[in-house]
Amino acid sequence: MTTTVPTAVGTPTRVVDKAQYGLAAFLVVVGASVLVDAATLEDGFADQPVQPYAVPYVVGAVLTLLGVLLAVATARGDVPEAEDGEDVDLTGGADWRTVALLVVVFVLNILLIDWLGWAITGALLFAGGAGVLGSRTHVRDLAIGTALSVGTWYGFYSGLGIPIPAGILDGVL
Amino acid sequence: MTVVVGYSADQFGHAAVEHGAREALARGERLVVVNASTGQKLVDSRFAPDEEIRTLTAGLEAQGLEVEIRHDVVADVADAVLDAARETGARLIVVGIRKRTPVGKLIMGSVAQRVILDADCPVLAVKP
Amino acid sequence: MELLLEGFQSALTPTNLLFAVIGVLLGTSVGVLPGIGPAMTVAMLLPVTYSVGVDSAIIMFAGIYYGGMYGGSTTSILLNTPGESSSVVTAIEGNKMAKRGRAAQALATAAIGSFVAGTIGTALLALLAPTVADVVVKLGAPSYFAIMLLALFMVTAVLGASKLRGFISLFLGLTIAIVGTATGQARLTFGQPLLADGIDVVVVAVAIFAIGEALWVAAHLRRKPLEVIPVGRPWMSKADWGRSWKPWLRGTALGYPLGAVPAGGAETPTFLSYITERKLSKHPEEFGKGAIEGVAGPEAANNASAAGTLTALLAIGLPTTATAAVMLLALRGYGLQPGPQLFDAEPELVWTLIASLFVANALLLVINLPMAPIWAKLLQIPRPYLYAGILFFASLGAYSVNFEAFDLGLLLAFGLLGLTMRRFALPVLPLIIGVILGPELEEQVTTALTISQGDVSTLWSEPVAIVVYALMVVLLLLMVLTGLRKPPATAAPTGSEPSDPSEPSDIEKQEVPR
Repeated sequence: MTTTVPTAVGTPTRVVDKAQYGLAAFLVVVGASVLVDAATLEDGFADQPVQPYAVPYVVGAVLTLLGVLLAVATARGDVPEAEDGEDVDLTGGADWRTVALLVVVFVLNILLIDWLGWAITGALLFAGGAGVLGSRTHVRDLAIGTALSVGTWYGFYSGLGIPIPAGILDGVL
Repeated sequence: MTVVVGYSADQFGHAAVEHGAREALARGERLVVVNASTGQKLVDSRFAPDEEIRTLTAGLEAQGLEVEIRHDVVADVADAVLDAARETGARLIVVGIRKRTPVGKLIMGSVAQRVILDADCPVLAVKP
Repeated sequence: MELLLEGFQSALTPTNLLFAVIGVLLGTSVGVLPGIGPAMTVAMLLPVTYSVGVDSAIIMFAGIYYGGMYGGSTTSILLNTPGESSSVVTAIEGNKMAKRGRAAQALATAAIGSFVAGTIGTALLALLAPTVADVVVKLGAPSYFAIMLLALFMVTAVLGASKLRGFISLFLGLTIAIVGTATGQARLTFGQPLLADGIDVVVVAVAIFAIGEALWVAAHLRRKPLEVIPVGRPWMSKADWGRSWKPWLRGTALGYPLGAVPAGGAETPTFLSYITERKLSKHPEEFGKGAIEGVAGPEAANNASAAGTLTALLAIGLPTTATAAVMLLALRGYGLQPGPQLFDAEPELVWTLIASLFVANALLLVINLPMAPIWAKLLQIPRPYLYAGILFFASLGAYSVNFEAFDLGLLLAFGLLGLTMRRFALPVLPLIIGVILGPELEEQVTTALTISQGDVSTLWSEPVAIVVYALMVVLLLLMVLTGLRKPPATAAPTGSEPSDPSEPSDIEKQEVPR
């Protein structure tokens, strides 16, 4: 799953963070698509002193350039200092499996929310997220999730006057 | 044969260790102290700091006991205690039990309860 | 003065007082809780702005901002894990004090220092902001454009370790800002009608701050529980007071101006304050072992900087920290444009806000001094619930904007971007500021060029603009010069941003999986 390569402190050995090439490529792709998109834009109105494509051209070009610069910096041994935090332990490897599972839970929420409504998918999102993150008490998770989602639904509906679509529970809630 | 103690860093854990040590001494058995946490809380008051474990071990060894400490972050605390019992061929497991309100019982899982239900050997439940 | 008194009248109505209390409590909790900070909280609370009155919402957000600064210091002192970047320095001496059994005094000097600094800072805000606004309001579009460019430049280039990464982040933000049909033609919408109105900044902010952070923490969750130092009610002896009051004032003097400057932020003044106190202290031997001055100064500095940040936000319309950026979003949600015009257009609102800052400050002191032991209990919340809760409320916030599942898709996409940014050490603030200020930059240029009928030289036709551009050139030269002096291969923090002494020096590197 994950491999960690701990590097010694301050050693002159050149470590190349290969994944950073991926980021550089991403920047170039985004920059290029901004440029391509800008090229499809037509001249604006006569009284428009700044053409609609002016800003995209600049941003796209700079973004592409930054991507190239990042690739160069990476080759020269530039290593990112990943963000530390109160609850972050950078000494171990990264647990990408948990992240992937969280994304799956989240995607399910996106796919189901129109049909089932927030009151149900919200509860599933909470319980699923907690389960993925290591909670073992699934029944309790679901209970808390349901309390939260139904509670927020009513809170938004009556407290804030925001009617969140009820989905399948329309008429029940 | 061993005596396994489920230890938490509070009065319940102290009571369990005290009884466990007495049992182990009487039969001349090895004492296995399990202090585990799921690590789900940023701060787990039942998980003993390293310093406390050192003091505890020193105290037990001074009584002439052979002590094994399992001080780990695990997926499930009850499983950690049960696994320790199985692996070391425990004759007895000692756990501290606390008073719970009916609502508390409903909401909170109980490590002691799981150990009592799932253990293969006798379990001694003690109160401080 | 009269305006301020009126402000107090409306800040002290029961409703607004209630929102201030909620804000202060929420702010302190999120400051204490791991992995969740004031910027994220305000971002997730943006939906309430749809129905709560503007004064109440802003009062609550101000309470969260000030409270977050305070809560961060609690974990710094009791756990040695700074909740917010602004309280990193506090951990150095604060945790040592706690280990020596002086946790109560450390918490007390942090709380009272925050109160003193916050009050002085807010007073300065009340005094200076109108004056600054008067000056700024007279500036033309060219000067305003120049100032915004400078702000973007400084936030990007001065903050953070790597300037390259700052600019990458900024331009990603500007790219997001391009999306939409604001200029009459569809830009970067890829034929998707739901993108025609542009990408909602609220969604971007919530995604980057909340989802990105939750995913990042999930990938690196700390497994072993930390030891918390038990504490009773904070109090200080007379000697502690004697050693604290000067650092408070000095911290305030450092924090306020630096908070108001883009890129000053809260970290730099806290660090400067720490160095100053170590130099001036009569007990230099105690530094590194728990000197109270090392807690008093930085804690005052970070609260004063919060007041400074709000001055820049209100008077110029420039967000200089992440929380300020999100508060700006909140104001925009009400159709208000923070900046010089706001003082003329909505004087009551501005003065209510300023008065509520005083109220929030006082509340923090009154509520938090006795409650410190309770805050420590918050750390007992199981973290699966904490982070699942963040995902939950972030989704709710993004969904309630338009009730579009599509927005949740955007939320996830930008959340993954936020995760990537944390993995590659891209700073978050430039991106958010880019998204917010990008359209405005385009608008200001358009305004300026429309007035001048397309003559580009109008951009440097005003003295203020020329001065600002000159300043940028000087900064750029300085950057290039300092950049040349050290070998390019090291991605070490550069001169302007002091490297953090408490940070572990060993850099662990993670390889991304296949």
